[in-house]
Amino acid sequence: MASDAPETSARDRHQLRTLIYAITVLLVVLGMVLATVIAARPLNAYPFLFFPLGFYLLAQGLVILIVAATFWFARAQERIDIERGESEEY
Amino acid sequence: MSASTRLRTPNPHLGAYFGIVTSAFLSLVILLAMFEQLGFGRAGLTYALMLLPLAFYVAIAVGARSNDVEDFFVCGRRVPAVYNGFVLAATAVGGIGFFSYTGALFFLGFDALAIGLGLTFGMLVATVLFAPYLHKAGAYTLASFLGQRFRSRPLRMAASALQLPVTGLLLAAEIKIAAMVAAMFLPVTYPIGALLVAILIAGIVIAGGMRTVTWTGSAEFLIGAAGLAVPLIIVSVLVTHIPAPQVTYGERMTALQRSEVTMGALPGAPGRAAQPLPGEAAQASTKPFAQPFGALSKPDFIVLFLCVALGTAALPSLLVRSGVTRSAIEQRKSSAWGLLFVALFVMTAPALAAFAKALIFDALAQVSALRLPRWIGELAAMGILDARDLNSDGAVRATETLVARDGVALSLPIATGLPYVGTVLVGAAGMALALAAAASHLFTAAGSLSEDLYRLIDRRVTALPRIIAAWAAVAATAVLALCTVWTADPDPLHAALDAFAFAAATFFPVLLLGIWWRRTSSLGALAAMGTGFAVVAVDVVVGGLFGLDESGLATLIAGLIGVVAGLGAGIAISLFGPQASAAEEAYFEDMRDPDGETIYDRAQQRAAAAAAIEAARVPPP
Repeated sequence: MASDAPETSARDRHQLRTLIYAITVLLVVLGMVLATVIAARPLNAYPFLFFPLGFYLLAQGLVILIVAATFWFARAQERIDIERGESEEY
Repeated sequence: MSASTRLRTPNPHLGAYFGIVTSAFLSLVILLAMFEQLGFGRAGLTYALMLLPLAFYVAIAVGARSNDVEDFFVCGRRVPAVYNGFVLAATAVGGIGFFSYTGALFFLGFDALAIGLGLTFGMLVATVLFAPYLHKAGAYTLASFLGQRFRSRPLRMAASALQLPVTGLLLAAEIKIAAMVAAMFLPVTYPIGALLVAILIAGIVIAGGMRTVTWTGSAEFLIGAAGLAVPLIIVSVLVTHIPAPQVTYGERMTALQRSEVTMGALPGAPGRAAQPLPGEAAQASTKPFAQPFGALSKPDFIVLFLCVALGTAALPSLLVRSGVTRSAIEQRKSSAWGLLFVALFVMTAPALAAFAKALIFDALAQVSALRLPRWIGELAAMGILDARDLNSDGAVRATETLVARDGVALSLPIATGLPYVGTVLVGAAGMALALAAAASHLFTAAGSLSEDLYRLIDRRVTALPRIIAAWAAVAATAVLALCTVWTADPDPLHAALDAFAFAAATFFPVLLLGIWWRRTSSLGALAAMGTGFAVVAVDVVVGGLFGLDESGLATLIAGLIGVVAGLGAGIAISLFGPQASAAEEAYFEDMRDPDGETIYDRAQQRAAAAAAIEAARVPPP
C-alpha cells in the first residue's frame, strides 16, 4: 500500500486547505456583518454617498463584500481542486 | 480534470437566444408604451404585456420537453454556470422577494435589511459548504443524497417528507403572489387566478422537469430583472438625473426624513408584544425609514438575519439545482453567479422602497388633504394606498396613510407618473419571478415525493414509470398547494420566513454534519434532522415555545434553536451510538474529491454495464 501514501497526503492536504478556506471566508463575512450590526448606530453618524454609513454598509457595502468574497473563494478553491487533480494523475 | 464519459456540451447559441428574448420583451414594452400614447385602450395593452410572456414561457416549456430521466431530474448536467445562476436567483428572490420584501422595506426601512443580507449570506454559505459536494454526489434530490450518503432508506423517506413544509409553504406563497397579480391585471378572480397559475406551473414541470424549469426559469429571470430595472432606472433619472438607483436614493433620504417628521412618523422603540414584521393587510407606516432598530431590536435583527441565512443555505429548492452543471468547479461558479444576481436584487430593493416611500410621503406632506394628487386616487382604486384625513385637521398624517405591503412595488411607477404600461411591466416582472420560483418549488417537492417515497415502495426500474410517477406527484402537489392557497390563504412574507425556519432547523445540521464530518452515522443524521424539525414543528403547533410567543419572531428563534439542537443531537448520537460504516466513509471521501464523474452517474453506468454483460452471457431463448 506504499503507492497510496502520496495520494493520501495530497488528499489530506487538499481537505485541510479546503476547510481553512471555508472557515476563513465564512467567519470573515459573518464577523463583518455582526460587527456592523452592533456598531450600526455610531456608524450612522458618518455620511457616505449621502447615506448614513451604517445603513449603507448593511444595504450595499456588505452585500458587495459577500459577492467579492464568493468570487475570490470560487477561484481559490478551483485552484487547489485542480492542483489535487494533477497530483493524483501520477 | 478527467473527461466526462458523456457529451455535456450546452447549446452554443443560448446567449443569442436569451439576448433575443430580453430585447424582444423590451421592444414589446416600448411598442405598447407608444400604443398607449396613441390612445389605445388600457385593457388591450395590459393583456398583451401580461399574456404574451406567459404564452412565451409555455412555448419554451413545449420546446424543451423531455422524457429522459437525466433531463427530467438534472437537465442532462449541461447547464452553463450563468444560466443556473439565473434560476438560482429567481428561486431565491421569487415573487415573495419582489413584492413582499420590498413592502417590508417600505414599512421597516433599515430593520428589514436583515432579510436581504441573510439571503445573500445564505447563498454564500451554500456555495462554500454544500453545493459542490452535492454536485459530486450527483443525487437527483436532496433526500436521495442523504439516503445515498448514509446508506439509509428510512432517512431518505423521512427527508422527503420533512422537506414538504418548506417547499409547500414557499410554493403556496408564490402561487398566491402570482394569483394576486393575475387578479389585478387580468379578467379573472383571485381563486381562478390561483387555479390557472397552478395549472401553468404544473404543465411546465410535467413537460420536462428540471429541463423546462431551467429554461423557462432563465427567461422568467431575465424578464423579471428587466421589469424591475427599467422602471426604477427611469424613476432614478427623473428624480436625481443619474441612472443608478442603488446609489442615488441616499440623496432622497434626507427629504424623506423631513416628510416623515411632517407626517408624524417619529422614531419609536421596538415593542416586543406586537408583531414587528408587517402583515398583508393595509396598515400605517409609522417607523422612519432610516432609523436603526426602530421596529426590531438589535438581537431581533441578528435572529432574522441568521435564520434567513441558514434557511437559504439549506433550502431544498436551491440545493436540488446542485447537480445540473458539468462539474463541481462549474457548480461553485454557478452558485457564485446566482449569488451575484441575488445581490443585485438585494441592493436594488431598498432603492425601490425608498423611492416609493419618498414619493408618497412627500406628496402627502406637502399638500393639504383636499388637494391630493390624482395618482393617490389611482393607487386607492388599485387597493394599494388609502390616504384620508380621518381627524379632519386638514393634513394626512402617517397614521392615516394605509399602505398594502405587497403593492409597494406597483405603486412606484404610478407615483412617478410613468405611462400605465410601466405599472403592468412591474406586474409582469413580479409574475415572472413568482412563476419561476413556484415551478422550482413544485419540482423540488414533487420530484422528491416520487423519487424518495414512491419509488422506495414500488421499485420497478424501467424509465417510464419513474417519469410517470413524477408527473403524478407534480399534479398531486399542485392540487395540494392550490387547496392551501384557497383555504389557508397564507401571508407570503410570514409563510416564507416560517419555511426558512423549517429549512434551517431540518436540513442545515444534517447537511453540515453529512458533508463536513466523516464520522457522522446514519442514526446521527436522522437524529439531527428529526430534532431540528421537531423544535420548529412544536413551536408552530403549540404557538410559542419557552415563552417565545411574546415576540413576533418566535418561529425564527425556534429555527435557530432547532439548528443548535439538531447539531448537538447529530454529534452526540454519532459519537456514542453505532459507528459510521466503512462504505459510508468511502462515500464521504469520494464526495470530497472534486474530480471526475458524479458518484450517482458512475453507479448507474456500472449497473448498466453489469446488466449488459449479464445479457450477453445468457442469450435469450
